[in-house]
Formats: sequence, C-alpha cells, structure tokens
Amino acid sequence: MNAMADRYAAQGVGAIFLYTHEAHPGEHYPHLTSMEQKFQHARALRDVLQVTRPILVDALDGACHRAYGSMPNMTWIFNQAGQPIYKSDWTDAASVENALTYFLDVAARRHSGARLVPFRVERLDYRTQDRAAFYQGLERNGPKAVEEFRAAFG
Amino acid sequence: MTETDLITRYNYDAFVPQKFLPWMRFDQSPPLGQPAPDFPLWHLDGREMRLSTIWSQHLYTVVEFGSFT
Repeated sequence: MNAMADRYAAQGVGAIFLYTHEAHPGEHYPHLTSMEQKFQHARALRDVLQVTRPILVDALDGACHRAYGSMPNMTWIFNQAGQPIYKSDWTDAASVENALTYFLDVAARRHSGARLVPFRVERLDYRTQDRAAFYQGLERNGPKAVEEFRAAFG
Repeated sequence: MTETDLITRYNYDAFVPQKFLPWMRFDQSPPLGQPAPDFPLWHLDGREMRLSTIWSQHLYTVVEFGSFT
C-alpha cells in the first residue's frame, strides 16, 4: 500500500493510514485506554511496520471507524467531493490499485469531455491468504493475541 | 451507553466473538456515491484535521483503516 501510494501521488491521489484500535490486543500492544496510549501505538506501528503514508489517529471511542463499519483492515476511496466510490471490507493492494486505475481513467475521460454518469456494481475480489504471516503479526502483539485468535478461528 | 462504556467496549480487551463481532457492521456502512460522514482525526504530533480536509485536497483519497493486526 505504501508503494502504491507513492506511484499514484503525482496523479492527484492521496493516501493515509487511519489507526483505529487493537483488533487483537496482547501483552505487547494491549487494548487502548487513553489517547496518549493510542498515539504511542500509532507511532510504534509507523516504525515497526514502516508505514510511509501519513498516519492519522481516530478518536478513542472509534467514532470514524465505527461509522464506516468497524472492519479491522478495510479500505475506502473517496472522491474530492467527499463521496466514497470504493469500499472494501479487507485491504488488498491489487484490488485498490485496480480501482484507482479505473477511477483515474474516469477522470481522464471527463477531462476529455466525455459525459459520464455513475452506476452501481458489485463484485468479489480475491486476496492471498497467508495464515503464517498473519500469525506472525499476532505474535507481535503477544501470546494472548495468538491464543485468542486460535480459539476463535483455529 | 455512556461514553465511558462505549470506549471500554470499542477498545475490547480480548478477541472473543461476543466482544468483537458486534462492532463489525460493514453491511451498514455508508453507501457509495453519497456524501460521507466527516470526523476529526489527529496527526501523530497531535494536530487535529478533519477527514473532509484530507479528501478535499486530492482527486482521490485512499484511506486504509487498521492497527498492528
């Protein structure tokens, strides 16, 4: 996602990472109880995961996250008028890039004078499931995060 | 639900279905093509910025929501 943000920045595409809450609280990164702690986690995430996009932090009660559906790693694309034009309940860089190239083409066609109107489409996208990498991420949070996920999903 | 209750429940202390499932409501999230809800957010240095300020600065804005996991 960082590399993609860099690739499209010159074409007017902005990208941020919005830190929400710990989906899998553990010994190393426990559940949040203060904004100070939330900022600490977000800074650590920037450094550990090497997030190069601007990181913004939601309110402690997750007001923004909750309003958009509270999924742990979702991605939304907004147009300049503040309308969501893509929403995905899981983040997959290939899916996001596929959408971006389409929307940039829409902008180019409009710039060329094409009269375009929106229509709705639904589809399923597919991502690689890397359970080993996911468990590595859980281990970063601590043994409790691993045990709870295993208990919930095996 | 009081604000304190909301903060405690949203920031659940254990990944167990009864604590995380109630929050996962993607099917009730804002529709595409309609004005999206706006919220204050904070940069890591504490500066406040609205989501609308961000999306108004770009042709398109990609927002990834997440945490360590």
